Amino acid sequence: MTDRFTRLSTLVIAVLVFVVAWAAVAAKPWASAKPDPRLAALTQREQLLRADARRVRQIVAKRSATYQSALAQRKSQLAAANTRLLASAPPSAAPAVRVVNLPPLTITRTS
Amino acid sequence: MMLERHFKAMGTEVELLLDAPSGDAADVPLARAEAEFERLEQTMSRFRFDSELSRLNREGRLDSASPDLARVVELALAARDATGGLFDPTVHDAVVAAGYDRTFDDLVADGSARLLPATCGGAVDVEGFRIELGAGTRLDLGGIGKGYAVDRVAELLALSGPCLVNAGGDLAVRGGSWPVGITDEVTLELERGAIATSGIDRRRWHRNGRQLHHLIDPFTARPAESPFVRVTVVADTAAEAEVLAKAAFLGADVDVPRVLVLADGRTVLAGGLA
Repeated sequence: MTDRFTRLSTLVIAVLVFVVAWAAVAAKPWASAKPDPRLAALTQREQLLRADARRVRQIVAKRSATYQSALAQRKSQLAAANTRLLASAPPSAAPAVRVVNLPPLTITRTS
Repeated sequence: MMLERHFKAMGTEVELLLDAPSGDAADVPLARAEAEFERLEQTMSRFRFDSELSRLNREGRLDSASPDLARVVELALAARDATGGLFDPTVHDAVVAAGYDRTFDDLVADGSARLLPATCGGAVDVEGFRIELGAGTRLDLGGIGKGYAVDRVAELLALSGPCLVNAGGDLAVRGGSWPVGITDEVTLELERGAIATSGIDRRRWHRNGRQLHHLIDPFTARPAESPFVRVTVVADTAAEAEVLAKAAFLGADVDVPRVLVLADGRTVLAGGLA
């Protein structure tokens, strides 16, 4: 009985030691803590691009605001011009025609 | 004083009337008007080999057409849309197939010829001053081109005074009041706008014993059959009147002042004239 318990305890301890050893090896404690230079370069590049994108967004927003302001002003000018044009237009441009009994000044025929 | 000038252009007799003071320079606007007719005929005639339209019909494409040609083609395409295809500038081959292949003065009045089949409704694309025709498509701007020329010349003459421009069946007035004889019984007094007449009492000929004429039905690509001998229409511009007269001749119910002469000789006034 005692031998059997001893063997079982030994086996469990051995398995535990193996798992702990495996975990320790997998953690690569000997590996350097120094960051990968390529990763650092990529991070730096990402930051630069993000900064560029922020600047572009600011420029676009500023230009868009200027354009929208100019557009609104132009639309207002066009509306005022159209109003003036309508006010000064003759009442009707439709052809004015009636049947008369006058002698014709000219005759028209089939083209 | 009423100044007059008569000359031949675009295959018809043109009459210019201008109410302006007489004097040494009185003839200048009339001479300019005649020159404008010649310029526009040189642009849009299908009978002149070196016209811009003939070049377009030969090459199928112009990358930098003149503003006048581009404008008239645009007007013609808009008219085709507006009339559901009753007016169609691509009837060129159908007109030629019917025998109208040279100026009307040179056309043999009676002859025999094989009438070739033709189609209408070809593709035409205008973008700015670029005009492109679909394969096998050629344009005939005869009617609408004359109307456009009448409008242009009327605008030109109006700078010198009230005027009337009458090119065969296309007539436009600017200012003044002008009695215009439409038939022996009907005279219309026109104060502004234009008149155009489409009919088969002129420009007709015989082939193989059959009477043919220049008004092509785009849906059959043959000379049209109509209950009318001629249709006269009043509209804002001569180009518009030309389109509406053709459409009305082919049976469209156009809502404008018009005079219809039926085959049995009766004359009907419609569109507010009665």
